Amino acid sequence: MKVSVGDVVLPGDYCEEISAAGEKSKVIVGPGLQKESNHVYVTKAGVLKKKNPNTYWVDYYQKRYTPARGENVIGIVIQKAGDIYRVDLGSSMSAALSYLSFEGATKKNRPNVQIGDVVYAKTLVGSKDMEPELVCVDSYGKKGRLGVLTDGFLFKCSINLIRKILNPSCPLLDSLKNEWPFELAAGMNGRIWIKAKTMRETIALGNAILGAEYLSDEEIKAMCANIASILAGHVA
Amino acid sequence: MTEAADLKECKLKHMKCELNVLSKSDGSAILSQGETVTLISVNGPLDIKVQNQSIEKCYLEVLFCTKGGRPSVPDRYKEHIIRQTCESAIMGSLYPRTGITVTIQELEDYGGLLSCAVNCACLALLNSGLAMRYVFAAVSCAVDETGNVILEPTYQEVMNAKARFNFVFDSRNKNLITGFSEGIFSEAAYEEALEMSRAASDLVFTFYRDIVTKYSNVI
Repeated sequence: MKVSVGDVVLPGDYCEEISAAGEKSKVIVGPGLQKESNHVYVTKAGVLKKKNPNTYWVDYYQKRYTPARGENVIGIVIQKAGDIYRVDLGSSMSAALSYLSFEGATKKNRPNVQIGDVVYAKTLVGSKDMEPELVCVDSYGKKGRLGVLTDGFLFKCSINLIRKILNPSCPLLDSLKNEWPFELAAGMNGRIWIKAKTMRETIALGNAILGAEYLSDEEIKAMCANIASILAGHVA
Repeated sequence: MTEAADLKECKLKHMKCELNVLSKSDGSAILSQGETVTLISVNGPLDIKVQNQSIEKCYLEVLFCTKGGRPSVPDRYKEHIIRQTCESAIMGSLYPRTGITVTIQELEDYGGLLSCAVNCACLALLNSGLAMRYVFAAVSCAVDETGNVILEPTYQEVMNAKARFNFVFDSRNKNLITGFSEGIFSEAAYEEALEMSRAASDLVFTFYRDIVTKYSNVI
């Protein structure tokens, strides 16, 4: 079936708008779209979106992560193998994290990373044919916010929820950060690490994030206010 | 296709569906067509044994669990049919050296179990976010003793039928991708059933679009 931008699409639909735009100038075809002979076909069920100029993609529901280059992810160290750590990202293959890709690490000065540690890292290689590779430094060799996450609480959620809470227009984190202090790291692989002062606050934060998945912006604000009042002890 | 036009009024069994019913699996769907109900869970792409890995495409595994829980030869045959159907739709080349598992649980069988399972598998695959070439829709038919072709037969009609057909069509050109028939029938009856099912598959595709529209609004 022929579809246009903003429509709900199913695999097998094609969009003539993209092929027409492609004849005039360069078009960036994002996830959920595939070029086949002279048509651009949809491969995933969701909503066809466009960003000017000429970037098209499909917004779809997903729980399983497939690694892509340049995304911040949260992994669990599962093995130390020679000069690399094996890190589980929840994808089909474990990722490799070199011990030299930490800030200030040298051959003699190894970073202190144990099996079972949770790391916040960036994907350097994300390809279907190669194993994913992670780094805990940026291109200047600084760690920034990357590295081992100590203490706190890790939980899983859908990849759409991560995209939703990281969207600058989403009021969830803005509302919550005014209520009580906490630390949060959201990995694009569907994992969230949180750390608050008390266990009560941590649980409240986790429930607020998971509860926000299917709510609208207004409902999120109301829910945050509600949770904050329960936490403060105003409501039994 | 005048036949297609008046078949618009023809009814398939009432379909009800819920996506993402299982919290742990990557994609899941429960579908009822009339009184027949199946539950499907899709997991993947996963890490699998080296002997099953293929360097050019994913390994697709379909497991069929009956209500009784004991697997039998006809069930293995159903697994095979569903596996071949799904394999044609999934873009396996995007997931090399990985495995995808489709687990089917029969909940109620009042005729048309295979077509219900195929449709449910398609919905579960849509929910899992795996790349697919097209969506597919299955329609079942039966030929009764007098030689009339019945679309989506009831349990009683299935029991008394001389022949039973299951057809699966793709959404791009409505091509037949799977045909499964049992019993004794004439060539004309087969052709008639095929065309009836092809027209009726439109209803299933519309149903898919409605379901996806409903859940796209909230994500």
